Amino acid sequence: MTHTDLLARLADLPGVERVADGANGIRADAPFLDVDALADALPALGLRLGTITGIPLGPDGETAIIYHFVAHDRIVDVATVTRNNAIASLAPRLRPASWAEREIHDLFDVDFLGHPNLAPLMRPEGYATGMMRAPMCAARRPAPPSNPE
Amino acid sequence: MAFTIPVGPYHPALEEPFKVSATCDGEIMRSAEIQVGFSFRGIELLAQKRNWTEAITLVERVCGICSNTHAMTFCMAAEKIAGITVPKRAQYVRTIVAELERLHSHLLWAGVGAEDIGFHSLFMEVYQAREKVMDLLEAITGNRVNYGMNRIGGINRDIPDPAIHRGALDALKGALTDVVVPAFTQNPTARARLIGIGPLSREQAIEWAVVGPVARASGVDMDVRRDEPYLVYDELDFRPSLRNDCDVFARVVVRVEEMLESIRLIEAALEKMPAGPIAATEGWAEIPPGETTVRIEAPRGEVLYHVVSDGGETPARVKIRTPSFVNIPAIEAMVPGQQLADLAIIQASVDPCISCTDR
Repeated sequence: MTHTDLLARLADLPGVERVADGANGIRADAPFLDVDALADALPALGLRLGTITGIPLGPDGETAIIYHFVAHDRIVDVATVTRNNAIASLAPRLRPASWAEREIHDLFDVDFLGHPNLAPLMRPEGYATGMMRAPMCAARRPAPPSNPE
Repeated sequence: MAFTIPVGPYHPALEEPFKVSATCDGEIMRSAEIQVGFSFRGIELLAQKRNWTEAITLVERVCGICSNTHAMTFCMAAEKIAGITVPKRAQYVRTIVAELERLHSHLLWAGVGAEDIGFHSLFMEVYQAREKVMDLLEAITGNRVNYGMNRIGGINRDIPDPAIHRGALDALKGALTDVVVPAFTQNPTARARLIGIGPLSREQAIEWAVVGPVARASGVDMDVRRDEPYLVYDELDFRPSLRNDCDVFARVVVRVEEMLESIRLIEAALEKMPAGPIAATEGWAEIPPGETTVRIEAPRGEVLYHVVSDGGETPARVKIRTPSFVNIPAIEAMVPGQQLADLAIIQASVDPCISCTDR
């Protein structure tokens, strides 16, 4: 598949609003991504799932989800956001998504709908799901005072 | 009657905890289940509490084997967000340290692998060869692990006289070609314990999305150094290793070939290294708002970093995907139909790093 074809097919995915192609690779922003449609399209797109990043958007809010795919010679990031902190799971059709989704569930309490086994992966016994959510939202240190010079 | 044998989480062959529960019919394993997370450290959270310079020191401690990989990949991500171009000499030094790290990682694996098949004299030979690499790393960086070589925009220490390291590389090449390579590839005992063991077909390798030597030993032709060249790999005529035998022996051969290629890359880099500065910036780096995903080829395979900056003094998010995080689950695919006695070398063949996995 040519680079142009890949960009066009990504833009055609249900829920994708914008596809940017720059020095940082390809990024598709899809606030209302249809995860099942993405899973259907992956074989034709020739993408390998690298991993999934979760970024909590507040202690009790939604979570940004970024799927990092690899297209042989470049990264393709597909960014979306949870709805009621839930999103369809890629794991039933994409094996490497399983551990990535289990970890995000442990850390940020995201419910991956349809995941075959959301058992704790990183979460120690006695910790509730979402153990990193509040600390990560509060982690930023205040900016230092500006240099008087 | 099927029964389940738990191996781990604390195991005499590994310093780090992970658990494989193998379900067996007699001596034959039917399936396995992997558990990790026994030493989860929350480094991604801690990175948000460190400034950009402190975070380099922190992520260098994700792993004691591929420590340079993590510091360097984090710096490359910050440099990409900030639009910093690293001077050529610094890129050459980064390449040399990265390949020395691959050498010591593969030799450490080879020693553990030899021990796992009961070949103790080979373990001793391998570790003697590995000491030559550790001496080289110490001579160049000042440290045997956690080298502290990387800064955002370049490196902290130069290699002032590249020619003095040629002798050590020659000695290492001799140890590999005279002892380590033939012992692993020609010795009947080693071959009997490795050939046909722990199969992972090319289709399975793609399905489980394994990376690095595990993928290349199953015929999956991928290596970030060639596919998306970084540092100076495209100037050194890098040649990846590929095998189609899909077993533990193939994983050994891929790593052996990679060690010889690493020595060639280091020799070429020492020879070609241009004069010039070793860093693009002075003092503290300021990272503007932005985000990027960067990948490099670590000794165990592809490492992914997703780094977000909101322009503050600390990173807003540092996501780390290590190769072991995707290679360890594939042990489940290598086990069915194999002898229980081979479980040790099968799990070792993916070179599992729990420190990386549990971050």
